[in-house]
Amino acid sequence: MTTEQVKDSGVRRGDVSGWSVRTIAGVITTVFVLFFLIPLGWLLLASTKTARGLIVDHPFAPGTLGGLAANWDQLFSFGDGEVTTWVGNSALYAVGALVITLVASIPAGYAMALTEFRFRRALLILTLVVMLIPNTALVLPIFLELNMVGLIGTPLSVILPMSFFPFGVYLTYIYFSTSIPRDLLAAARVDGCREFQVFTRIALPLAAPIVALVAFFSFVQSWNNFFLPFVMLPSSDGYPIQVGLTSLLASTPAFNPSSAGTQSIQLPTLALATVISVLPVLIVFLFAQRFLIAGMTAGGTKE
Amino acid sequence: MTAVEETARPVALLRRRPSPRPPRGSRSATSYGFVALYAALTVAFGILPSLYAVYLAFTTGEGSFAGFANFTKVIGDFRFLPAVGHVAFYLVIWLVSLVVLVTLLAVIVHAIRVRWLSSTLRLVFYLPGALAGASSVLLWLFVLDPTASPVGGLLRALGLSSFVQVIVPAHLPPIFAIIAFWAGAGGWIVIMYGALNNISPDVIEAARIDGAGTLQIAWRIQLPLLRKWISYMGIMSLAAGTQLFVEPQLLSQASNAVVPNDYSLNQLAYQYAFQQNDFNGAAAISLLLLVIALALSAFFVLRGGLFETD
Amino acid sequence: MSTVGVAGAMTIALALAGCGGGGSGESSADTYGFPQTTQDDKAEITVWVDADRSSAADAFKKANPGVPIKVVTYDGSANGSNSFRTKMQLFDRAGSGWPDVVFSTQNNDAAWASQKSNGKQAFAAVLSGGLVAKATLDGFTPGSLNPCTVDGKTYCLRNDLAQVVLWYNKELLGKFGYSVPTTWQEYQALGEKVAAEHPGYIVGTVGDAWTPEVFFWSSKCQANNITGPKSVTVNTDSAECKRAATMLDTLIKNGTTPNVSVFTPEFVKKYSGKVLAMPGPAWYAGAIFNNPQSLNVPKGQLGVAAPPAWQGEPAVTGNVGGGTWFISSHSKNLKAAEKFAEFVTTADDYQVNLAPGYPAYAAASTKWVQKQESSGYYATDLQPIVKAGTEIWDGWGSGIFSQEAIWAKTMTPAIAGGKSLVDLLPQWNTAIKNQAQVDGYTVK
Repeated sequence: MTTEQVKDSGVRRGDVSGWSVRTIAGVITTVFVLFFLIPLGWLLLASTKTARGLIVDHPFAPGTLGGLAANWDQLFSFGDGEVTTWVGNSALYAVGALVITLVASIPAGYAMALTEFRFRRALLILTLVVMLIPNTALVLPIFLELNMVGLIGTPLSVILPMSFFPFGVYLTYIYFSTSIPRDLLAAARVDGCREFQVFTRIALPLAAPIVALVAFFSFVQSWNNFFLPFVMLPSSDGYPIQVGLTSLLASTPAFNPSSAGTQSIQLPTLALATVISVLPVLIVFLFAQRFLIAGMTAGGTKE
Repeated sequence: MTAVEETARPVALLRRRPSPRPPRGSRSATSYGFVALYAALTVAFGILPSLYAVYLAFTTGEGSFAGFANFTKVIGDFRFLPAVGHVAFYLVIWLVSLVVLVTLLAVIVHAIRVRWLSSTLRLVFYLPGALAGASSVLLWLFVLDPTASPVGGLLRALGLSSFVQVIVPAHLPPIFAIIAFWAGAGGWIVIMYGALNNISPDVIEAARIDGAGTLQIAWRIQLPLLRKWISYMGIMSLAAGTQLFVEPQLLSQASNAVVPNDYSLNQLAYQYAFQQNDFNGAAAISLLLLVIALALSAFFVLRGGLFETD
Repeated sequence: MSTVGVAGAMTIALALAGCGGGGSGESSADTYGFPQTTQDDKAEITVWVDADRSSAADAFKKANPGVPIKVVTYDGSANGSNSFRTKMQLFDRAGSGWPDVVFSTQNNDAAWASQKSNGKQAFAAVLSGGLVAKATLDGFTPGSLNPCTVDGKTYCLRNDLAQVVLWYNKELLGKFGYSVPTTWQEYQALGEKVAAEHPGYIVGTVGDAWTPEVFFWSSKCQANNITGPKSVTVNTDSAECKRAATMLDTLIKNGTTPNVSVFTPEFVKKYSGKVLAMPGPAWYAGAIFNNPQSLNVPKGQLGVAAPPAWQGEPAVTGNVGGGTWFISSHSKNLKAAEKFAEFVTTADDYQVNLAPGYPAYAAASTKWVQKQESSGYYATDLQPIVKAGTEIWDGWGSGIFSQEAIWAKTMTPAIAGGKSLVDLLPQWNTAIKNQAQVDGYTVK
C-alpha cells in the first residue's frame, strides 16, 4: 500500500526529533487507551463482585461466578421481574422503529436519488437540516403533539418518533446515487418494467449493505434513546431498559438514601444492570466493527 | 443524540459526487409513493412539532396571544441564567478538548504503521460509544464515587475523598465533558482517520522530500486539510451539547439533588412542563434551543459545502 | 424485508396501542366527596411503593391473597425528585394510567395532590368523606395527619412518624466517661471534647439533605413557615437559625459532624463503630444502626435520649419525612385501594412486625415500642421516642417545594467547599424564597 511505503521512507530518513515525538505519541496513546478501557473493563469485573467486595477488594480483582449469579438473581427478581419486561420493551421499541424506518427510508432514499419529482430538492435539503438537529430538541414539542392525539403512554408514542430517521434516508440517498449503475435501471425500463418493479427487482436486491447499515444505526439509536421514552412513558410497565436503569438507581441505597431496606439493589447489581442494558449494542459493535468502521470511512479509504 | 448517530453521519460526506440526474420523466407518481411514508413522518415529527412549539411559546395557557411574555418569563426565572452558564461552560470545555484531542489522536493513530495496532486502537477508542445515554452515566457514577471507583486512588490524590466533593458545582462542567468525550470521541477519531486517509500520499511525500518532519507535516498539511471536518465536528457537538439532559438528570438523582434537577436548559424546560404544569414556558425554552440547533444546522447544510444536495 | 413481516409488525404495534388507551371512564357517583369512576370490585389495583415499602405490599398480599394487586417500585419521590407529582401530571395529560395507591417518602404531597391542576381532577381521593372510616382516622396519633390535611379534609394516611431524637452509643459513651447531652450547648461541648480526646469519633452528620430538619427545625429556625395554602415566611437571619449554624460550624470544623451522607458506602467504611451520638429521626434505628448493610451496631449498645433543648427553652424537635399513602381519585377499585392503604398503615402484620419506623397509627405505635423494647436490642427504653412524637415544633410547614432539595443544591456543595454555615444563611434564604416563588407562593 502506497501510504505505508511513504511512511516507511519517512522513518528511514530519520527525523532528528523522531524519537521524542514517537515517545510522546506513545505516552499519549497509552493514557487514552487506559482512559477508554479502564471504566469498561472495571464494569465487567464489578458485576461479578459482592457489595462488600466492591468496596474492600482491589478494583481490578475479579469477583466470582457465584457473585455474578447472586447479582443476576437480585436483578431479575427486582419488582417481580420488571427488568425482563424492560429489556423486552427495549427490543419491541427498537425493532418496531427499525421496521418502520426501513419501510419509510429505503424507498424514499431511492426515489430521491434515482427518480425525478417536484419538491425533490426541497425534501432533500429539509432532510439534511432536520438530520442535523439534535433529536432531543424536538422531544417536548412531540410530546405536546402526541398528547393532543392521546397517544401518551402507548408504545406508538416512542416507536413513531423514533421511526423518523432522516439520517437513514440520507445514507440511502447517497448509496443509490453513487453505487447503482443508471444503465441498469434504464435497461430495465426499456424492458417494460414499471417504476415499482424497477425498485423491487433491480434496486432492492442491490441495496443489502445499506439496509444493514441503516438498520444498525436505527437500532442503536432507538435502543439507547433516553429522553423520548422518559417523557412519553410515565408508567414503569412501559419503560425501556435505559429508563428502567433510573428505577434501579433509585433503589440503590448508595445513590438514594431513603431506599435503604431489604429490597434494595446493591452496587454490583446496578453494575450488572448497566452491562445488560448495553449488551445487545456492545455485541453488535464487537462483531460488526470491521463492517461498521469500514462503513464510516468507506469513501475515505476506497477513493 | 446518541454518539453513534452523530459520528456516523459523515459517511456520506466522504463519498464522491453523485452522477447527473436522469432525464425528467413521467414517473413522478410512483416517486411520490416512494417518499410518501417518509414525508408523512417528516411532517409529523419534524415540522408539526416545531410549529406547535412556536404556537405554544407565543400563547398563554388559555390559548390567547401572549407576545413575548413566555420568553421574558423564562429568561427572568432565577434558574435560567445559571443554566445557560452551566451549559456554556460545559460546551467550552467539551469542544476545546474534543477538537484538540480528537485531532491529535487521529493523527497519531494514522501515523502508526503496524496495521493491527492501528485498527485495534480505533476499536478501543470507538467501543465506549456502545454505552450511550443512561448506561454511560451510570458507569461514570461508579467511577466518580471514590469508595467504589477503579481510580479511587487518583481521586484521593486530587484531594477528593467523597462523592459530594467530586461533584461540587465547579467540577460538573468538566465531568460532563469527560463523560461525553469518553462515549463520543471514538467515532470522531475514526472519521478523522478516514479523512486523513483521503489526503493524497503524493502531497505528503512531496513534503518529506522538501525535508518536512512528522510534526511539520501534521501542522502544515494534515491540519489545514482537516479543517472542514473539525468545524463540522465542532458545530455538530455544539448543537448536541446545548441539549444536555440525561447526564445532569441522572447525576441529580444519584446525588440526592446535590446536582440540581434544573442544572441544564432542557431540564429547566422539563421542570416547567411537568413540575409547574406550564407548557407554554417549556415551549419557550424548547424553542430557544431549537432555534440555535436549526440555525447551526441550516448554516452548515447551505454554506458548509460538506453535504451533497446535487 | 417481506411485506408480510412489515404488516405483522404494524399490526402488533397498533394492537399494543389499543391496550394502552384504556379510556378514563366517565365520572359518576360522588359519594365520598370527589367524583369517582365506575367501580369494579374485581379490578386489579396498582400500588407504587419505594423499595423499602415493598415488604408492606408483600405483607398485604400474604394477608389478602384474594385481592388482585400489582406492585411497582419507584424512587418514593425522595430528595426532591418529585417523581410522584411529575408522573401524575403525565398521567393527567394521558388521561389514564394512574396507580391506585401511591407511597411517598415526603410529607408535602397533599399540598398539590388535593388541588385540581389545569382543570384536571385532583389526584388524591378525599379520605375523610367516608372512604376511610372515621374511627380509623381518629386512631392516628394526634397531629400525625396534619401534613395530609388541606382545608379540613384528609387526603393521605401517614405511614410513620419521623420525629428527631438523640441516638447514642451507650457503651462507647460510658467507656469514654461522657454523659448524654440534654441541651444543644452540652451537645456542642461533647463534640468539642470528642474532637480533642478521641478524634475520628463523631456525634452527628450534616451530609444528608435533611440536615435542616434535624438541626434547624429543632432550633425553631424560621426557614419554612408555611402560613397559608400559597404563602410562606422565610427568615434565616434570626438568632434561632444562627445559633444552630454556629454550633454546626464548630462541629464541622473539628470533624465530629462530617459532611457525609449516612447512606453512603463511604460513611459505613469510615464510621462503623465510631458513631458516639447522632441526632436523627426515629427510623434511623432500623435503617442504619440495626442494619447489617449499614453500621450494624451490636445488640445492647444503642441508646435513645430525648431531643436536646436549647438552654432555658422547652425542648422541641424536628421531623424527617415520615411517609404518606395516597389513594387515587381515579381508582376503579376504591374498595380494594382503601383496604390496602388501611392495611399498610394500621395492621400489625406490617406496622408492628416489619416496619423500620415508628408507626403513625397510635395502637400500632404502642405495640411497636413494646416489640422493639422486648427485642433486647436497645440499651435503653424507647419512651423518649414516644415523647418526642408530641414535641414536633409547628412553625415548620409542608409546602409544595422541597426544603431537602434546596438544601442539597445550595448548601451541601458549599459545605463540601469549606464555607461556613453562618455565612451561607443569606444564600439559603434567597434559595428558599426563589424556589417558593417559582411554585407560586407569596414570600415574606
